[in-house]
Amino acid sequence: MNVIMVLAAILFVLMALVGGSKGVRSFFALFLNFGVLVFMLFFMTNPDVNPVIVTFFASILVCCIGLFFINDVNSKTVIAFVSTMIVISVLLFFIVKLSDGMMIQGFGEEETESLSGLSLYVGVDFVKVGASVVIISTIGAILDVAISITSSMQEMHRRNPRLQRDELAAAGMDVGRDILGTDTNTLFFAFFGGYLALLIWFKDLHYSVGEIINAKVFSSEVLLVFSAGIGVALVIPVASWLSAAYLVRKRAS
Amino acid sequence: MNGRRRKQGRPAWGLYAILLIICAGSLYAVHHNQTLYDRPIAEVLTADVTEQEETTDVHRNTDVVTSQMLTAELKNGEWKGQEIELLNDYSKSGVYDQKYAAGDEIFVTISGKRAEDGKLTGEAVDLKRDGYVVLIGWLFVFILLLIGRRKGLFALISFAVNVLLLTVALDLYVDHFPSGLLVIIGLCAVLFTAVSLLLVSGFNDKTYAAIIATLIGTTVSLAIACLVIWLMEGKGLRYEEMQFLTRPYHTVFIAGLFIGSLGAIMDVSITISSSLFALYEQNPDIADSELLASGREIGKDVMGTITSILFFAYLTGSLPMLILYLKNAAPLSFALPMNLSLEVARALTGGIGIVLTIPVALHTVMYFIRRRGAAA
Repeated sequence: MNVIMVLAAILFVLMALVGGSKGVRSFFALFLNFGVLVFMLFFMTNPDVNPVIVTFFASILVCCIGLFFINDVNSKTVIAFVSTMIVISVLLFFIVKLSDGMMIQGFGEEETESLSGLSLYVGVDFVKVGASVVIISTIGAILDVAISITSSMQEMHRRNPRLQRDELAAAGMDVGRDILGTDTNTLFFAFFGGYLALLIWFKDLHYSVGEIINAKVFSSEVLLVFSAGIGVALVIPVASWLSAAYLVRKRAS
Repeated sequence: MNGRRRKQGRPAWGLYAILLIICAGSLYAVHHNQTLYDRPIAEVLTADVTEQEETTDVHRNTDVVTSQMLTAELKNGEWKGQEIELLNDYSKSGVYDQKYAAGDEIFVTISGKRAEDGKLTGEAVDLKRDGYVVLIGWLFVFILLLIGRRKGLFALISFAVNVLLLTVALDLYVDHFPSGLLVIIGLCAVLFTAVSLLLVSGFNDKTYAAIIATLIGTTVSLAIACLVIWLMEGKGLRYEEMQFLTRPYHTVFIAGLFIGSLGAIMDVSITISSSLFALYEQNPDIADSELLASGREIGKDVMGTITSILFFAYLTGSLPMLILYLKNAAPLSFALPMNLSLEVARALTGGIGIVLTIPVALHTVMYFIRRRGAAA
């Protein structure tokens, strides 16, 4: 028994008590997601496999777990799936370009200590690995926004089937805006919490503002936080318009 | 009327115009700020490959290490305007090095020696990244404003205020109260929650109920985590990745747990609070049991998604180090606990907080609603 196992057991009991069968499924979804991470790990250690492609397939798996396993295969989840994958693909393209330009791959000089004794010439393209980290870190939030929008839009459409496409899309955008603030908040605090040690370390080293901003570790964190916000925001119009188009066409047929 | 029109989110063109001007100004400034730096900066003019070598390490990983000779023009300091020759090595994997190209601005060191042609010589240290940081920052601001409008603006304000608070808090901790991290972070947590939630949903009962639920949920989940760590004597937690800190890293880890789960717990609280208040306001005669039942359903829905948001936000960051370990022939049974134990503990504690907060938020909100019902 160790800390992790006890915490996991507590989480399982709580999820089962509060969430019933859906809670149990959510707990197993975490396990499956962990499996996806291990899957990514194995493919990425192979230098002949492009990490961007691994990320793309991992995103599909994560979406399937979060949408089809926890919920169900229906028009809501399918549209959420498509919107998430569109945003992920666009984001992936830009983030690979940006992390290449910013040269934030691998590790900064602040992390040298943890690299000691390791061979660094391992042949894996760390620029692409870095881009993949950014994408997978935010995928949970993008998925959350997408599914919230598609399910509330279907509910709206059911209650008032005569809504026009533009009205429906506008309503979806409103739902999305409501979650935008809280979801970016969730991510920001998670990142702050995870990087607290690093922030304290920067203070201890008495880095100047210039040194902090240009440091690899800091700027990669900035890219992570801001891309998270951008990804969560971008999925709002995509999910709203796709959903509206689908609902209107379904009514027409 | 005016407030209502703004709520519908007509874009404020004046605001965008001002922001665009500031944006353009700051982008110009950040590309012409070399004289503000003490460290020498040079712009690469030419980059020539001098040597290329295939390497194979003891674990039979192959890589290509390339040496390049850079000619660059110094942008600041004593030798501003002079050319300098720099040596730089980079690998295909780029774990701890980078390849420079013409046009890149880099920090350099200048050695005393001059080359045969009289040029200065030195070494490339690191890329100047401030331009990119500012660029992404603006991209973030504009996308949030264009899509989120008023909500996006509030999210940005809340983000800025929280970053500021955290900076001040860390300054206080590092410079004045080196033993009071948890107290400072605890106070911060209250401020973070108040600022974020008030900005998201205004000064009303809905927000107050969510703030109370967040604080209770966070405290209880943190207490559970601390209790488990204490009872198990920290077994299974590997603090190696925090060992660069010259401070008690257990405390820093606990403080990180605190902040890390706060956002997610706020998310749960405000979601439950606003949907219950919305139901109540639509139909003030709704039975308590009905409200509780809808609240539980909403809770079940958000539980899974928010825990997975935390899960990915925490665990993914360890991928590069894990890859490096595995490529160095470390077995998975060693690499995983070594690099993931703290992240998994963070995700699990956050998850516990999220799930616990559902009943806490339900009952806090019910208390507020009953009180209002009794007053009416």
